[in-house]
Amino acid sequence: MNFIAASIESLGAKVAGWGTVGYGMFAFLVQAVLLLLERSTWNRATFDVVIKQVYFTAVQILHVFLGYTLVISWLIITIILTTARDFGLTEFASEMTIRVLVLELLPFLTALFIALRSGSAINTEVALMKVNNELDALAHCKVPPMQFEFLPRLIGGVVSVVALAGLAGLIALLMGYFTIYGVSTAGFEPYTQTIAKIFDFRIVAGLLLKCVLFGLAVTLIPVTAGLETPKKLFMVPVSVLRGMMRVFFAIVAIEVVSLALKYI
Amino acid sequence: MARVALDLPLRANLSALDNIALIPLYQRHYDAAESVRQAQAMLDQLGHAEIALLRDPDMTPSQRFVTQLARALILKRPRLVIDRPGAMLYDVPYPAFIRQLAAQAGMTGTWEIFDFDWNQALYQA
Repeated sequence: MNFIAASIESLGAKVAGWGTVGYGMFAFLVQAVLLLLERSTWNRATFDVVIKQVYFTAVQILHVFLGYTLVISWLIITIILTTARDFGLTEFASEMTIRVLVLELLPFLTALFIALRSGSAINTEVALMKVNNELDALAHCKVPPMQFEFLPRLIGGVVSVVALAGLAGLIALLMGYFTIYGVSTAGFEPYTQTIAKIFDFRIVAGLLLKCVLFGLAVTLIPVTAGLETPKKLFMVPVSVLRGMMRVFFAIVAIEVVSLALKYI
Repeated sequence: MARVALDLPLRANLSALDNIALIPLYQRHYDAAESVRQAQAMLDQLGHAEIALLRDPDMTPSQRFVTQLARALILKRPRLVIDRPGAMLYDVPYPAFIRQLAAQAGMTGTWEIFDFDWNQALYQA
C-alpha cells in the first residue's frame, strides 16, 4: 500500500514539475510576444543585438553547415536513388528525395545542429548570468534583460533555423536534380512538376511553422532552463543537462506531430 | 540611488566600454555610436581610458571597480553608494584610490561609502 502511495506521490510530483516548467515557458513566451508588439522594443539597440545573434547562430557556422548539408544530402539521395533503381521505382526517386530530405530530415538536423551549438551555449550563459547576479545588475541599471538578452536570442534562433533549413532544402533540391538527371536540362520539367506537386500551400505553411517551432525550441527552452538555475555555481551543468534534454524531447515531439499530421 | 557593489557585477562577455554604454543606449535611447562616445568620455574623466576594451575576466580588481563606478555614474542618479569597497578593491589601498577617483575633474554629487566598522581606521589615515 505504501509502495502504491509513494508511486502516486512521485508521479504527481513529476507531473506538477512538468506543469510548472511548461507554464514557465509559456508565460515567458507570452511576455516575449507582448514585448514584440510594443513599439519601444523596436529600437536600434535591440535590432543590433538581433543582428549579432543571427550572425553568431547562422552566419558564423555557414561553411561547416554547408559542408555537412552537402554530405548528408548526397548520402541520402544516393541511398534513395539506388534503392529506387533496385526496386524499379526510379520515377518516384525525386519525390521521395524531396519528401525525406527537404521536408523532414534537413529541418530536423538543422534544429539539432543549432541546439547543440547555440542552445547549449545560451543555456550555459543564462545560467551563469543568473548565478553571478548579472541579471540583477542589469535590472539595477534599468537595462531590461528581456529586451537586451533574451528577445534577440529568441528572434535570432527562429531566423537562423528558418534560414538555414531553407538554404539546406535548396541545396538538397539542386543536388537531387544533378544526382538523378545529371548535368542536363532533360529532367527540368518533370523535376519542377514534382516540386510544384509537393509544395502546395499547406505543406509550405506547415514546413515554415515547423521551422519556427524548432527555432523557438532551441532558444526558448535553454533560456528558461538557465533562468531556473538556483544561485549555486555547481548547478550550472545540471541546468544545461536539463535544458538540453528538454530541447531534444521538444524537437522530437515537434517532428513526430508534424509527421503524424502529414501522413496519418 | 546608484550602487557600486560586489553583488552588482559587470556583464562578463562585454567590454568595459560596452558595459557602460548600455545605460545611454537602453535608458536614454541614444544610438550606439553616441552611447559608446559617452561611455568613453566617462572612462576618460575617471582617468582610466586604457581599460575601455577589457572584459571583466581580463581586468584587475581596481579596473573592474572603475568600470562599475563609471556605469553607476552614467546612471546620473542623485545618490551614489559604494557598498563595502574592501570586497572589490583588494589590490589597492582603497580609501586613497576612491578619493583619487572622486577628485578627478568634473566629478559631482556625494559619494557615500558603506563599510564595516573595523575598517574605519583606514579612512582616518
